[in-house]
Amino acid sequence: MPMIITYSDMLCQDSSKDLDLFSYKSRLKFGNHLYFEKDYLRASYEFREYLKYEDNDTIRFRFANCFYNIGRYIEAADNFKSTFYNSTIQDESRLAYFKSLFFSGDFNLFRNSSRNEIYLPEKYLTEVNRLYFTSFLMDNSVLPDTGNFISAFPDSNKNDIRNFYIQKKFPQYKSPTTAALLSSVIPGLGKIYVGNITDGLTSFLVTGVLTFLAIDNFKHKHSFRGWLFTGLGAFFYAGNIYGSAAAATIFNAGVKFNFDNDVKSYFEKRNYFLPENNL
Amino acid sequence: MIKSIIFCLLLVSTLSYAQTDWVKWDAVEVSYKISNASSKIIITQKQSPDSGIISFLRNTYAFFISDLDGDNCPFYPSCSHFFVQAISESGMIKGPLMFADRFMRDLNFFKSKNNYPIHRIGKFHDPVSNYTLNEQVIEITPIGSIGD
Repeated sequence: MPMIITYSDMLCQDSSKDLDLFSYKSRLKFGNHLYFEKDYLRASYEFREYLKYEDNDTIRFRFANCFYNIGRYIEAADNFKSTFYNSTIQDESRLAYFKSLFFSGDFNLFRNSSRNEIYLPEKYLTEVNRLYFTSFLMDNSVLPDTGNFISAFPDSNKNDIRNFYIQKKFPQYKSPTTAALLSSVIPGLGKIYVGNITDGLTSFLVTGVLTFLAIDNFKHKHSFRGWLFTGLGAFFYAGNIYGSAAAATIFNAGVKFNFDNDVKSYFEKRNYFLPENNL
Repeated sequence: MIKSIIFCLLLVSTLSYAQTDWVKWDAVEVSYKISNASSKIIITQKQSPDSGIISFLRNTYAFFISDLDGDNCPFYPSCSHFFVQAISESGMIKGPLMFADRFMRDLNFFKSKNNYPIHRIGKFHDPVSNYTLNEQVIEITPIGSIGD
């Protein structure tokens, strides 16, 4: 119901008793209104109806852009293709097509398409090239050559990009195997290697105290207690080795998470070095 | 000499974590709300002989210790829940190792919100999935924020 009120309110400037609210021109007006109000899903319905009656490149672009804005990137990419040829906005459409593929998260598809030169927008070659290199920071593909990678970005950002490149190529991971081996030599050392110093010291104390109690009880001929503390000591010793490997795995996941977040926020802040879309 | 040091350490740590008298005798708000059945820690479902033994151990612990001692574990899930979850998710070899590690981390007096994210119930969020050695299932919650 509120939608009908908005719809008729919007059209009241042209009000006449003969006005057909469902004519394709009315749908276009309403669709544009919804589009600029960022109500993209409903705008796409109106544009779809309009395009059944009249062909218009801008509306085709907006129709595809509706899908882009609501995160349906593959549908958006398919629809942007409709204005690839014989259109005044073909370069914008092609750039938007590559943006859609990039944000769909299928970076292999994006990279394959961006190397396929038939769709590349002449006006926005640099932008697509930047997206191409940015995509390597966002998945686990093998990084391209440093020189080509960094030269794609503006001079003022090259240092940041170089840092991201180095972090991606040489992540500061800790080896779970090394952590486990260190803990097997000295209990808790693997955790200290990972950076969990107090956890490492606690592991050392627990296994140390239990070992001492086991030895002391054996010395004093308390064999039951001796075996009890031996069992507990062995249990916590094994747990300490496992825990060190787990701590290294968690540390690595944290490094990856932080890197991904940093890259994402850095590029989002700069709109991925893309021009604003004014259509 | 070493025995005396261990005794002193145990005494100090026990006293510093002991319940204080004046809290015990204060007036308290009593809730008569029936607790949620799903949060009961008694396990009745038995799937295999192993899980039967684990259930028995845990129920014994819950009956004789946990119910009397109260909800004192600083972690979510608590160490006993962690033990059961670890064994049910990772088996009888890996599960106890995960528990041994958790138990030692629980003994660490210096653990703080700088080491763990805080769960919405106010405890350190430390899920079992983080200790399976599988990086894909690790839940990374930024330190200082609230986990689910």
